[in-house]
Amino acid sequence: MRTLLLRAVLLFFIGVFAISCTSDGDGESAVTDDTDDSADDATDDGSDDATDDSSDDSSDDDSTDDSGDTTADDSAEPTDDGGDDGDDEGDDDVTEVQSGDSKLAAVQSAGVVRCGTRDALPAFAVLTEDGDHVGFDADFCRVIAAAVLGDAEAVEFVDLETADRFTALQSDEVDVLVRNTTWTAGRDGGEGATFLQPNFYDGQGMMVASDSEFGAIEDLDDGAIICVAQGTTTEGNAASEAARLGLDWEIRGFEDVPLLQEAFVAGQCDGWSSDSSQLAGIRSDFPDGPDALTIFEGVFSKEPLAPAVADGDTEWAQVVNWAVSAPIIAEELGIDSSNVDSFADTDDVNIQRFLGLEIEGDEETAVLDPGLGLPTDFGAQVVSQVGNYAEIFDEHLGSIGLERGVNALWNEGGIMYAPPYR
Amino acid sequence: MVSAPVSATRVPIWRNVRVLQWIFQLLVLLFAVLVLAWLWGNYQTNSERLNIPTDLGYLDNPAAFEITGNSMSQNAPVRTALYEGFLNTLRISVAGIIAATLLGTIVGIARLSQNWLVSKIATVYVEAVRNVPLAIFVVAGLSAIVFGVLPNIQEAWDLGFLVASNRGIAVPWFEGGTGGGLLLLGLAAAAVAWGVARWRRSVSERTGEPPRSGLFAGGAFVVAMIVGWFALGYSATLPNVDGRRTAGGIRVDPSFFALFFALVVYTASHIAEIVRGSIQSVPKGQGEAASALALSGFQRMINVILPQAFRVAIPPLGNQYLNLIKNSSLGAAIGYYDLTLVTQTTVGNGSPAIPAFALTMVIYIGISLFTSVFVNIANRRLALVER
Amino acid sequence: MTVPVTGKSGSGAGAVTWLRRNLFRSPLDSVITIISAVIAAWVVYKTVNFIFVTGRWEIIRRNEKLLMLGRFPEVHVLRWSITAVTLAGWGGLIAGILRARQIASGSIVPDAPFSARRLGDLAARFWIPAVVVLLTLGLASSSGPWITAVLAVVAAIAGRLIGPFIGRVKLGRGANATLYTFLAVLPVALYFYVVDAVGFDDWGGFTLNLFLAVVSIILCFPLGVMLALGRRSKLPLVQLVSTAYVELVRGAPLFVLLLLANVALQFFIPASLAPSKATRSIVVFTLFTAAYMAEIVRGGLQSVPTGQSEAAKALGLSPARQTGLVVLPQALRNVIPAQIGQLISLFKDTSLAGIAMGLFDVLNVASAIPAQGDFRGQGLIGETLAFTALLFWAVSYTMSRESQRLEKRLGVGTR
Repeated sequence: MRTLLLRAVLLFFIGVFAISCTSDGDGESAVTDDTDDSADDATDDGSDDATDDSSDDSSDDDSTDDSGDTTADDSAEPTDDGGDDGDDEGDDDVTEVQSGDSKLAAVQSAGVVRCGTRDALPAFAVLTEDGDHVGFDADFCRVIAAAVLGDAEAVEFVDLETADRFTALQSDEVDVLVRNTTWTAGRDGGEGATFLQPNFYDGQGMMVASDSEFGAIEDLDDGAIICVAQGTTTEGNAASEAARLGLDWEIRGFEDVPLLQEAFVAGQCDGWSSDSSQLAGIRSDFPDGPDALTIFEGVFSKEPLAPAVADGDTEWAQVVNWAVSAPIIAEELGIDSSNVDSFADTDDVNIQRFLGLEIEGDEETAVLDPGLGLPTDFGAQVVSQVGNYAEIFDEHLGSIGLERGVNALWNEGGIMYAPPYR
Repeated sequence: MVSAPVSATRVPIWRNVRVLQWIFQLLVLLFAVLVLAWLWGNYQTNSERLNIPTDLGYLDNPAAFEITGNSMSQNAPVRTALYEGFLNTLRISVAGIIAATLLGTIVGIARLSQNWLVSKIATVYVEAVRNVPLAIFVVAGLSAIVFGVLPNIQEAWDLGFLVASNRGIAVPWFEGGTGGGLLLLGLAAAAVAWGVARWRRSVSERTGEPPRSGLFAGGAFVVAMIVGWFALGYSATLPNVDGRRTAGGIRVDPSFFALFFALVVYTASHIAEIVRGSIQSVPKGQGEAASALALSGFQRMINVILPQAFRVAIPPLGNQYLNLIKNSSLGAAIGYYDLTLVTQTTVGNGSPAIPAFALTMVIYIGISLFTSVFVNIANRRLALVER
Repeated sequence: MTVPVTGKSGSGAGAVTWLRRNLFRSPLDSVITIISAVIAAWVVYKTVNFIFVTGRWEIIRRNEKLLMLGRFPEVHVLRWSITAVTLAGWGGLIAGILRARQIASGSIVPDAPFSARRLGDLAARFWIPAVVVLLTLGLASSSGPWITAVLAVVAAIAGRLIGPFIGRVKLGRGANATLYTFLAVLPVALYFYVVDAVGFDDWGGFTLNLFLAVVSIILCFPLGVMLALGRRSKLPLVQLVSTAYVELVRGAPLFVLLLLANVALQFFIPASLAPSKATRSIVVFTLFTAAYMAEIVRGGLQSVPTGQSEAAKALGLSPARQTGLVVLPQALRNVIPAQIGQLISLFKDTSLAGIAMGLFDVLNVASAIPAQGDFRGQGLIGETLAFTALLFWAVSYTMSRESQRLEKRLGVGTR
């Protein structure tokens, strides 16, 4: 009896162990384990014991970590997180790897950026039959990979449902979330996410069938059914807008876009409300043709769409922030994928800095390396392998009829403004 | 054989069975506590790292979404949304249990019918439905039926008392009547019913015919409620199409309808098997004796066989009811705002995941335990006393 | 009620009698028959119409690989084929060895392996899955599946023929253990062979459902037995923990547990161990099914007469040996039908993994492919769902029929 039990227990644990070991792709976790342990054992072992007792439960450490998007001192990072993770078990190996290990190092050693995106939003991220992800957000995933790893194709696209996009980020299932997600305070705080440079400033709009009796948004009244996607900002915004305009709407939430489209085509919805860019994308791909749908003028909320990373790793957040800013800086400097190679002899210091070219100083020549952890030529890699902001925008969004509008550069009438790379 | 003298020395500790048992238990407890402490520690650490709260404070945050078919405002706190979700779960559970039992009993009896065609149809239904996952029925209910079969609101099927479209099915409903008045009316109708029950009992004692007091009392209650309702000036309305919505009556949400359809069809097939098994377990002699007493087939079934079969069927039936209640959580997949979908939505809107889901699980476990206690009581009341 | 008696037994008379007796017993019966016949005819007509006339099965044809294998990379599909063929051979081998052993121990009368009667028996048992497999092959868009299927059949027959040669040899304990180990290790080795090329997280389609079900049922078994024994234990702590676990897990819906695992598991486990979605779903299925299995095994333990354990005690067996050698084997044997029922139920519940966790299982694929570019807006969800339902139905129905057959053979009576 005892032996039976023992055998059963052993079999059970062996089974679990085997399954979990083989499930992380091709031993990826094993690789990160090794690097994390070796990298952090040195720094954290010493500080661990010292800071353990004092900083374990103190909340000040947490607040400096999480709020310090652009201002946190990198030197504080390892010790702070070491203190956080020194929980009562004293299980150093386990806690070392939890957080505070450098995500940048992990991504570099894995050789691939895991980018959380979606598979069925026209113009932003669509999974084609060949297995490629095509779209505006998909290209920004490639931008990040090109910047961090020098290879735009070193991306592992992880298709996420709306419901678990943030939990995937929190659980380290993805390194970055580029999934046309709106930057809100609630998400910054409650979802453990850090939002970065917005790559698209959008607003919420309304779309109806062209052959319906609705000519303007005020016509949607008397219990008109407005369909939205669940778990997004559009749900709350639609209700607020109805209250503001004094209209009587019935808001129906749907789990994902295909289901919503089904309902809309079947006639269950009078109006479809979502980010205007999403509506434009859906309209461009509508089975009955784009003219079957009409998008009303005007937007009724601010929807800055921005990539997001998980809280707690300022270094990684900064890396991604500058990577995402790179296409914008490129457009500001007039660099695009066709002329990026022609600037080798330029005298413009800004371009030299951005492309990682040697700058002549008084005594010597040097290449700008601001210590972010990015390769010095990340700008050149991004532009040559993917393109500048205008190219990315035109290829995916211009083709469905979206104008630059508020997304034009700051000196061309829009608000796209990237910090200077120097 | 000479028995060995009982030793006066005590058994050493390491061979004392009771001591060993207690040590084993303490080890198990220690192991469990260590594992739980490790898990809890990880939870706290990760929550702090991501700055996510671990208490139930989120219940007071505004919900930021509306529940279809409900008048709850989007600024109501999350606890209100959860309550509405809980009510929705109860609604579909009660409706589903009643309908599934009816359908399942009919199909179960049909399977045992002498009529070859009827029994074959019932068999095909049960065998076809039982082996297909419920999830497929739920998805089909929405995609294939609500979107595929039901028409647009402009072409709704208007049957006078019923208006069906893919925006819902509108049925007649009562208008007016508030809580207080309703309660008084209910009490009055109950008093009438009690009086009718007493009258029936005295009639039965006089004439010897079965009292059927429950039936009469129930009928009297319903009649009294309806008469009182209209007498007090409340009314009922019939639905009709009015532009893009239906006016009058009450509209059954299409997601509710799809989930109801799936749950009833699926659970009824299981209930049919249980009913069939329980009827077959009634000794054949009972049925033969009933025939010998010149009872018709229908009377035989209702008076002799079903009551005895029911006794056997209660535990598995209770199990199926529990399954139906738990399966109602699948409404989350098709947009029916039951407890699960409400929780999912609040978590998607920023509520902390673990407290929210833990609370939901506690509520479901509570419902399950309550229902199983109820079924156990029924079982005990009706069980045969074994000699 | 008189039954019409006919003196003749010629053709036609029997049919009329049968009709009268079964369909038109009384006026009311006749009316019911007519109404049912009309409804049945309408349903059959609609179904046949859907299958052969109006159904557009092109979508299945184009997406069959997605439905069966998910997003498994094309280059590695060969490994799956090799695995399928090897498993077929392995199955045939086991069948052959078992049969030879049964003949040797005298429990079965030997018969020529491929006699007409046995083949007919096999056909009657497995014609439904065979038809569905043929249908699936027929809808395949390449010749790969056909080749795999043919090779698998050949391998199964070969295994079945080789098996008796091994089974007839009387093996010593060591050799026996080696044989069992080899047979047990082979599927595991195949699993690692496939996973080496494509991580477990990239599996999908119907094979993912099958895999989840098989792995969960294997893993939940030890845990379920432990919990059942724990519930019957006299040690109060152990009994409390076991009972609490079983009652709590049985009270929660599987769907909610899967949602919880989707969002919550990573909070409790450090990132280094962070299991993938598929692993998380296996953990949930295992823990969930273990609770139900515990109840089934507990019922089995109660069904063994106490005389058995008393006799074992009288023979001087320790309590552990009593349970392990005498009571438990009988208990497990008694509830085999219930266990198979639980396996069927678990297999059907794997379809929830797609909805709750976003795994790319067959139901998720079936819901997603009608939105593909070429098929959008045509309402093809009916076709894909029908195909998926057919796949599930074929497996479940066959398993439940086999379970009933096993029940009869084991002589397990109903109440």
